[in-house]
Amino acid sequence: MKDLGMNLALSAEEKSLLELITPELVKIGKDRSKLIPILQLIQEKLAYLPGEAIHMVADHLSISPSEVYGVATFYNQFRFNPPGRNPVKVCLGTACHVKGGDIILENFERKLDIKEGQTTPDREFSIERVACVGCCALAPVTVVGQTVHGHMQPSKVEGLVLRARIEREKQQREKQKNESSE
Amino acid sequence: MVTLLIDDKKIDVKEGTNLLRACLENDIYIPNLCYIKGMQNPPASCRLCFVEIEGEDHPIASCTVRVRDDMLVHTDTPRVRRLQKTALQLLLSVHDVDCKNCPANRKCGLQDMARFLKTALKSNRFDLFLKKNQVDQSHPFLDYYPNRCVLCGRCVYVCRDQQKLTELTFAQRGFNTVIGFFGNSQTIPPSCDRCRACAEVCPVAALLPKREI
Amino acid sequence: MSPANKEHANPRFDEIREKAETRKRAFKEAPGPKIHIGMATCGIASGALETKDAFEQMLAQLGIDAQIHTVGCIGHCYAEPFVIIDHPESGFPPIFYPEVTPGKANMLTKLFLAEGDPRFEHILGATEKNEMIPWVMEFARFSQEKRVVMEKCGHIDPEDIYDYIAADGYSTLAGMFQRTPQEIIREIKNSGLRGRGGAGFPTGPKWELAANEARDTKLVICNADEGDPGAYMDRTILESNPHQVLEGIIACAYAIGAHKAVVYVRAEYPLAVRIITGAIQQAKQLGLVGKDILGSSFDLDIEVFQGSGAFVCGEETALIRSIEGFRGMPRHRPPYPVQSGLWGKPTVINNVKTLASIAPILKNGAAWYRKIGTENSPGTAIFSVVGDVVHPGLIEIPMGVTLRTLIFDICGGIPKKKKFKAVQIGGPSGGCLPEDFLDTPIDFDSLTQAGAMMGSGGMVVMDEDTCTVDISRYFLDFTQKESCGECTFCRIGTFHLLTILERITEGEGNEADLKTLEQLSEDIKNGSLCGLGKTAPNPVLTSLRYFKDDYDAHVEEKRCPGMMCRPLVAYYIDLEKCARGCDACVGCCPVEAVFTTSNRKKGIDQSLCVKCGECMVACPPEYDAVRKVSPPQLAPIVERPQQTVKEHK
Repeated sequence: MKDLGMNLALSAEEKSLLELITPELVKIGKDRSKLIPILQLIQEKLAYLPGEAIHMVADHLSISPSEVYGVATFYNQFRFNPPGRNPVKVCLGTACHVKGGDIILENFERKLDIKEGQTTPDREFSIERVACVGCCALAPVTVVGQTVHGHMQPSKVEGLVLRARIEREKQQREKQKNESSE
Repeated sequence: MVTLLIDDKKIDVKEGTNLLRACLENDIYIPNLCYIKGMQNPPASCRLCFVEIEGEDHPIASCTVRVRDDMLVHTDTPRVRRLQKTALQLLLSVHDVDCKNCPANRKCGLQDMARFLKTALKSNRFDLFLKKNQVDQSHPFLDYYPNRCVLCGRCVYVCRDQQKLTELTFAQRGFNTVIGFFGNSQTIPPSCDRCRACAEVCPVAALLPKREI
Repeated sequence: MSPANKEHANPRFDEIREKAETRKRAFKEAPGPKIHIGMATCGIASGALETKDAFEQMLAQLGIDAQIHTVGCIGHCYAEPFVIIDHPESGFPPIFYPEVTPGKANMLTKLFLAEGDPRFEHILGATEKNEMIPWVMEFARFSQEKRVVMEKCGHIDPEDIYDYIAADGYSTLAGMFQRTPQEIIREIKNSGLRGRGGAGFPTGPKWELAANEARDTKLVICNADEGDPGAYMDRTILESNPHQVLEGIIACAYAIGAHKAVVYVRAEYPLAVRIITGAIQQAKQLGLVGKDILGSSFDLDIEVFQGSGAFVCGEETALIRSIEGFRGMPRHRPPYPVQSGLWGKPTVINNVKTLASIAPILKNGAAWYRKIGTENSPGTAIFSVVGDVVHPGLIEIPMGVTLRTLIFDICGGIPKKKKFKAVQIGGPSGGCLPEDFLDTPIDFDSLTQAGAMMGSGGMVVMDEDTCTVDISRYFLDFTQKESCGECTFCRIGTFHLLTILERITEGEGNEADLKTLEQLSEDIKNGSLCGLGKTAPNPVLTSLRYFKDDYDAHVEEKRCPGMMCRPLVAYYIDLEKCARGCDACVGCCPVEAVFTTSNRKKGIDQSLCVKCGECMVACPPEYDAVRKVSPPQLAPIVERPQQTVKEHK
């Protein structure tokens, strides 16, 4: 069941991104058949569909918000909560399942202490299950961020999480250094 | 006018009439939930109104069939009854059977069918699965009880096709499907408060007005 | 140029073809070696981008003037990333290299491109017949395939329309416009082509129905909403040879009189979306799509629509609803889309593979196509074969080849000398077939008769260590999550099927469950509204029919014969074989279930073990001390010494 993140307030950055979309909507037009392409556009920019966006689309197409919501909750693509900075996508396609993809998923869930579909409180990681990322010969496969990791093993999970955390710390240190040197 | 034979009973109806309607109007009861008189394209989603038509291999939902001359229809065959019973038991397996406290008691679509099909309201064929949320009160004028709802879609249909509104919609998907009215509290027209058409067509009292007019 | 096409000289197209051929000649005649790298999603996932970078860097470093040619997917997934190096100066024919990592790329650049040593140990084969290196066509994996749809996949650059044209692409258009739409439909009808989307409805008659509808606006939809979690041929075709699909769409539109077409691709296939969008633009620029195509006064616009991820949208009425901007819920048919489809207009919906078959048929004629495959299922079938086979990947074979030939000859059989147990065909809508069916010819009707179906073309081969109950549970889990929720049987029925299967795989099932499973499956099949629901029970029904022993073992003995159902298995360490002081299994355990016994051997704490099997992999082969058993009570209990617990806590 899709969880609605309606209580989340939009960040300033998200607000300005949403405002930038308004002129694009005018270009796309008001035809009902544009509903799904519009939702895809918003999710591409914001990585999820906040409640504000649903209202904005409803206004634009002159349909009720529940109509937009009904469509958005039908499709797997749309999410209503921001994903983590490192989205973990565990492939559970047929080949990966046969090779123990669910064990990999379980290990990520255990390691990150969240369930599939959720995001860690620090917004670093989110876990999703996906159906076939298209490299069945490498099964089981997990995609972390943009990188495909083939021949996954439960023992590799900890390393991947750790590596992402270290990367993040390094980035933050550098950011701080840059800020202080400015 | 065409003449057809339903359960050996000769019936004359207007050509092109929906078979389910033809049966119901001639006192031949066929279990049904999602059909409303006048529907152009019935959704055929409740999967209850099965009949067997000679010449067809499988039972077929009668609401999707238009009558033809000399059609031979059987409404009470083992295959039809088996499908109807299973469909009803499936609906009951996600239904909070609490008739005593339900406003629909004695005028309930499920009760009617259970009586007709001689099926117990509480059977142990399937495990019972109820949704956690007993009631959704987010609509300004309506309360929604997901564990009563059979998702026949009649409320969505009347709101959309008769009132020309889109205040009610199916939301979520699959087993989690519910009737939703997300965010409408801000945009809902006041006419919604006076209408009540959705609550009136609900066969199981899953949609109730917050206050009586 | 074939003589048939010469008659249909079309000055506009001739000019385009001239340019394409000039470019191809220039590429061929350019000095230096040519490196062809497969860059479809599967290649990229296996590291083809890094491989390409490595080639580029090393070539620059060594100052070698070579041409890199990015191509699509050749279908040999086990070999990704694959590279074909054509280095005429070395005296060798073009060579196919599998699994080219950046390291291998560096090595091949240095040793082969610079020094002329092809490194025989890394070669899969040569792509031409020669005296030195085995020709790939001598391998069954290559020679027994028959490529019609995927003929050019992996050989041309999908992002360069001229590459396709130089390979005789779009050559059917000029001739087609000189024939009437009726003639085109007759040709397709005569070919006996059946829709490759799964059910196998004849394509020619479908087009004819749409053509006969007397309406102004008609539409063509190319269905690339490939949803089966184990099938990816539609994606591969779009990523590797999009123009062959467009050529088919143009023919279909011309035949039925449509001026608008939509390619419906899953948004989860970003590369396919990008490549098909680019291909449409390129075709437009050359006047092959758009207004007055090649001076024929026939107009056609092609758009891309991104499907948002709902398996049910592969069903044509649901697909239409989603393009219209609604929830993708199927509706009762009739009316069929050829009568009333998208926006109520007559609409032909064809699968990618169907449309990609059109150009070869128009080019070579219906009689040629009829000769491939069987009487009732002419042409080829594409399967994505995964699971326990030596050479997994995409395979295009003539219809009528037996499952045995496909699995054992073409795909190299079962690895690790294990025994064949079952093959699952057709994904979530298909079925599981046992060994007795290995000699079944692959065609629409034989598979349906056996209880499976062609479906999506997904094929999972399973060895003796596979549990058919678990595979059924897996597919039911998928269909249950993907049920649209509209009709009672699919929405609630599949949910109960799944819970019962879960119960059985956890060892909690009973005799009554098996009966309910069978009866409910039949009712869902007969009672559901759309194809998704009607076929959802197939995995259960076929496994119940052919692998009843598996179910009985789970229910009666609480044992999983394939040892896949984790609640029914246990791992333990054979103390006779375990080596003192070795810690291989301790380090790899994700939950610290492995402990050291009082005599410095290892034991597994069954209460903590999550049964991931890591210890079994980690245990050095010379000890081979980890055992897997089912039912779990067979594992001897080894007490955890008190102090080790403290150590860990």
